[in-house]
Amino acid sequence: MPVIHTEIQEVSHPNRRIVALRVLAGLAGGYAFTWGFVALGVAALFAAGMEFHDAEHLCYIVGLLIFLVAFLWAFAARSLARVWAVLAGGGLLMAGAASLMQSLLLP
Amino acid sequence: MPDALMLAAALLAAGTGMGWLALAMDVHWEQACGDAPHSPARAQGLRIAGALSLGVSLGLCLAVDHPSMAALVWVMILAAATLVVAFTLTWRPRWLAVLAWGADGKP
Amino acid sequence: MFQNFRLSMAWLHTWFGLALGFVLMVVFFFGALSVFDREIDRWAIPSSRVEPQPMPSFDRVLRPVFEAMQPNRKSVDAMRSEVNGPMPERFDTPRRWGAYTTHRDPVLGLFAGFEVPNAKDPETAIWASRTIDPRTGASLPEDRLKIGSQFFYPLHYSLTFTWKDLGYWIVGLAALVMLAALVSGVVMHRKIFRELFTFRPGKSRQRSLLDLHNLTGVVALPFHFFFAFTGLVIFASIYFPVTHTQLEPLHELHEKLDSEETGLPHERAGIAAPIASVDAMVAEAQRRWAARGMAGEVGFLAVQFPKDANGYVSVYRAGTDRIALTGEGIHFKASTGELLREEPPSSAVDSLNEFLTGLHLQHFRHWLLRWLYVLGGLAGCACIATGFLFFVEKRKKQHARAGSQGSRIVDALGVTTVTGMMIAALGILIANRLLPDVLPAGWPERGDLERYAFWGTWVLAMAHAFWRSAPVAQGQVNPAWHEQCRGIVVLAVTAVLLNWLTTGDHLVKTLAEPYWPVAGVDLFLLASAGIAALAARKIRRKAKETAHARPGKPTEAAHA
Repeated sequence: MPVIHTEIQEVSHPNRRIVALRVLAGLAGGYAFTWGFVALGVAALFAAGMEFHDAEHLCYIVGLLIFLVAFLWAFAARSLARVWAVLAGGGLLMAGAASLMQSLLLP
Repeated sequence: MPDALMLAAALLAAGTGMGWLALAMDVHWEQACGDAPHSPARAQGLRIAGALSLGVSLGLCLAVDHPSMAALVWVMILAAATLVVAFTLTWRPRWLAVLAWGADGKP
Repeated sequence: MFQNFRLSMAWLHTWFGLALGFVLMVVFFFGALSVFDREIDRWAIPSSRVEPQPMPSFDRVLRPVFEAMQPNRKSVDAMRSEVNGPMPERFDTPRRWGAYTTHRDPVLGLFAGFEVPNAKDPETAIWASRTIDPRTGASLPEDRLKIGSQFFYPLHYSLTFTWKDLGYWIVGLAALVMLAALVSGVVMHRKIFRELFTFRPGKSRQRSLLDLHNLTGVVALPFHFFFAFTGLVIFASIYFPVTHTQLEPLHELHEKLDSEETGLPHERAGIAAPIASVDAMVAEAQRRWAARGMAGEVGFLAVQFPKDANGYVSVYRAGTDRIALTGEGIHFKASTGELLREEPPSSAVDSLNEFLTGLHLQHFRHWLLRWLYVLGGLAGCACIATGFLFFVEKRKKQHARAGSQGSRIVDALGVTTVTGMMIAALGILIANRLLPDVLPAGWPERGDLERYAFWGTWVLAMAHAFWRSAPVAQGQVNPAWHEQCRGIVVLAVTAVLLNWLTTGDHLVKTLAEPYWPVAGVDLFLLASAGIAALAARKIRRKAKETAHARPGKPTEAAHA
């Protein structure tokens, strides 16, 4: 029985270490990026006058979609280094900015 | 008209609409109508009729429920209708010929 | 990692789909069953087979129950580690009383939260719950497991694996992977519109499995995407507890400002006060809703800081006729009944959030939409199951030649997760009917025994699946598939018969009344048995065909 012709050609399986690093980048990197986004988003929207729980909900809704995009990108991107830089680095920057904003908002 | 009747009509309109959209494709036309001639003009007509029928289905849903619920009902009705048409084409393709106007066996 | 985008998405879809597909089967299947969770509860608890009731009188029916409620022994034991010093005999300081009902509830669930003296964290509360008959206030025995709303439903969102909330995280990861699988699936499936209506069971098994996988995935694509997404939105605060950790100070600031603005006290006063007539407050709330053109039933009733001077009563309208779960909250001062706050119409973001969560949790009245949700959920199961089957079918011949056990293992896990899971669900229903109402002293609670029946049955099904899986390593079909389908037929019919024998509510009776909750469950069980019987026959026939088509064996060559 012939093997079905799917639209995808068979590819030799990438080695385990690379796979593990990509998965880590997608999950941990994506999580960090999303956390930073939510934190910065909530702080910024609250500072701009939006009701706190509204800001929270909106940032969750958008943030979860961003997590999805980040996760997919971690596998599609050519350079693993760039993925880590953007996701982990970006996440940290945004989280840092959020804490800074919080300290400015508190009496 | 009571709600149940209107929703039943919405289901019927969706089924008819999906049926017409399926028949607009050559492969499904052949499954349903065999050798009956199939022109691009007829395919276009079927597509328009299909879209209109889906629109009627949406209108009926909106008449029964308020918009946010009607939208959900309609999307799910489309899913059910597509499944019905697909399984009809799989197991009783000739039945779909009832929707094919002009294809009454005469070449 | 890959030469192009499509290849990377194909890899992602295959391997993450395989890994998390097992979890997703459980989530989708029990999610589909949870659409009718309260109906399954009634099948499981015959004493609750009455008509749904509106929220009863607080003053006459609810208040005595709230006053008497105390946390059960399990909750008290679990709280010991959070407390410095002895646990009190009675918890006397309630922080919150609440009752929630929908148009499908014949019995009412009440909850009460109490302050915990000497708690390490002063915010800690201990919770008690009670289920009552709203017509009389009589409590139902606590050991009756609501198989729908207290088992299948939590199984769906947390796998009932509550240690460190791990189950929630696993389901959350599965939901994210579902979204990724949907996007990557669309990327891979170039002919998404052209093949929308395509299902060719006559072709090679790989082709027909792929057709069915694509069909069930695409046809309900908005459903699959929205349910995975809204599921994540609902639990977002568990996955990203930003405002209770990094931004906790900002949260506190908001609470203080909010409290000043809304007039709803943030803390208790510490001064005792009576509770005025809550029934009068409810009547006032209903009058105000009607005045806004939104007459409705009470969905949620809560008292914050009961019997304290800062106590307030919150009345929310049931969202029976809309997507949002509840709304139009009106708050009254508990001691006097004076109006404190009528919540303004929802903001745009609030409306969006209510729509997204309400869409998923479905407390609205719309029977057609409910059944369409079940269809969507089962389509999702079919998509995932055909995904496994395709994975195995594509590789088992290569694996057979190479002597690898990979396909065999995946196939056995597939049987476990598809038919095995259904057998487990039937197992708990049967146990529910067979266990005596009163258990001998010293035995575990009835609900616990029902849970053991579920997991035990599933483990047995898994053992059977693996034990029978040897043919897969030869490129053949695992006989466990049709054997377990037959098992489903027998068990489903048995469940319906047991319902008749143990409660007297057979189908002729429940269809004649009509009492749809029980009739619906029985009919669904019988329909499942029918489908399983058809499936068993088809699978057995195909398995025989494959066995005879096997090349290389001299005896088979004679037949060919």
